[in-house]
Amino acid sequence: MRQQQWHKAPDIRGFFIFEAGVSAKMGKVDERAGRNGTFPRLMSFHSGFVTNFIMMYSLYFQTFNTKVALTGEEQEVIKHYLTVKKLRRKQYLLQEEDVCKMVAFVEKGALRSYKLNEDGSEHIVQFALEGAFMTDLYSFLTNEPSIYNIDAIEDSELVLITKSASDELRMLSPKYQEFIFQATSEAYIQLERRITYTISLSLDERYKQLVANYPDIIQRVPQHMIASYMGLTPETLSRVRKRISFNK
Amino acid sequence: MPSSSFVSQAKEMNTKQVVAVVGASERIGSAMATAISKGNYRVLLQSENFEKVQYIVNEIRRDSPGSDVEAVPYAMEACWEADIIILAISYAKQRKVAEEISQVVNQKIVISIAIPVSDAPTVLLTSPYFSAVEELQAMLPHSKVIKVLSCPFTNGLNEPGMDAQRLDFLIAGNDEHARQSVCDLVKDAGFNPVIVGNLAAGRTLPTITSLLHTGNKNN
Repeated sequence: MRQQQWHKAPDIRGFFIFEAGVSAKMGKVDERAGRNGTFPRLMSFHSGFVTNFIMMYSLYFQTFNTKVALTGEEQEVIKHYLTVKKLRRKQYLLQEEDVCKMVAFVEKGALRSYKLNEDGSEHIVQFALEGAFMTDLYSFLTNEPSIYNIDAIEDSELVLITKSASDELRMLSPKYQEFIFQATSEAYIQLERRITYTISLSLDERYKQLVANYPDIIQRVPQHMIASYMGLTPETLSRVRKRISFNK
Repeated sequence: MPSSSFVSQAKEMNTKQVVAVVGASERIGSAMATAISKGNYRVLLQSENFEKVQYIVNEIRRDSPGSDVEAVPYAMEACWEADIIILAISYAKQRKVAEEISQVVNQKIVISIAIPVSDAPTVLLTSPYFSAVEELQAMLPHSKVIKVLSCPFTNGLNEPGMDAQRLDFLIAGNDEHARQSVCDLVKDAGFNPVIVGNLAAGRTLPTITSLLHTGNKNN
């Protein structure tokens, strides 16, 4: 059934998706700027609904295309397996003890994953801003209950793929397989770096490294969450920041 | 042959699922929204009559203060945020609503709880060989469409003295996991789920319920 969709002529919305995909490949599309009129022709001819629709997947496919180039038709087929979802600030995508059944990609907004201790303290494992993936990979792969919570720290727009859709798509599309491999490899490298910096650098060096590599996170995420991410109390982080600004 | 099966208690999820009820100002829609809001769900109520859904939302909040309910003006917005969509709309509006929400319901569960009858209740609007819900599945090919029908008297939902526990909800759909999720939802809403099989097996449901409705009115 689904394979027939490869040959299905896209409707008018499909055409614009195709166009957006091509532009994205050429690196011309800033999906955030898109809201302010990157597609003036489209904006003037169509309702906000169509524009919104393109925005729902634009960063996902832009990211996809920078790793593995897709044709417009391939994009259309992959789109059918993806779920778009809005998540309001402070709402959960996953709560501990549930099985994580999807991988989320952040189109807009910000997510965090954290472990909750018995005393109620939060330990942030990961942030995901625009263009980043978020999941509990262990739970996703093994079907075991998760030990993490994932929630939104800003109103967010997500592209989700469920385990079953992902499995089906991997069988169908070698390009999707390659994309997943690359994205997982990147996540692995990031984790490896995080562990290395945590065990080998001084506090000040770790914070500087965070500022240099993830300036967006530092700007958008509250300080107490940065402290939690670094495994510090907010007071300690505050002292580190003062020391760094003093030594500049 | 479709086989009936009563579903065992599933493990409760911690993560709150979001349910959008499109057509929540209608009787069956508001009854479903009210029932579901008692479970661990965030419920978004949508209807063309926005004032009426706001009124219903306020009523639900007043009656169960802990509930997470919200009125949303547009079907597309509500369905974008939702994990599960309930269409409590008449057959006449089905195509229009399906078009409106088609881009935000990929891979999501879409539940149809309307019965495709005209004003004369015994006249079904669809061909017996291709039910309204199969039309809906064809319009939303990447969604998991599930037919849910209360049996025997949907009209009894709002009536005082009606024992909600006694109501069976018949569930038909092609995706097994989706059917199971809807079973959990129906159970959380306080009703008794009965799986009858795939959508084709569900074809006979509107005919039966239509007759039961007629019987209900005549009594």
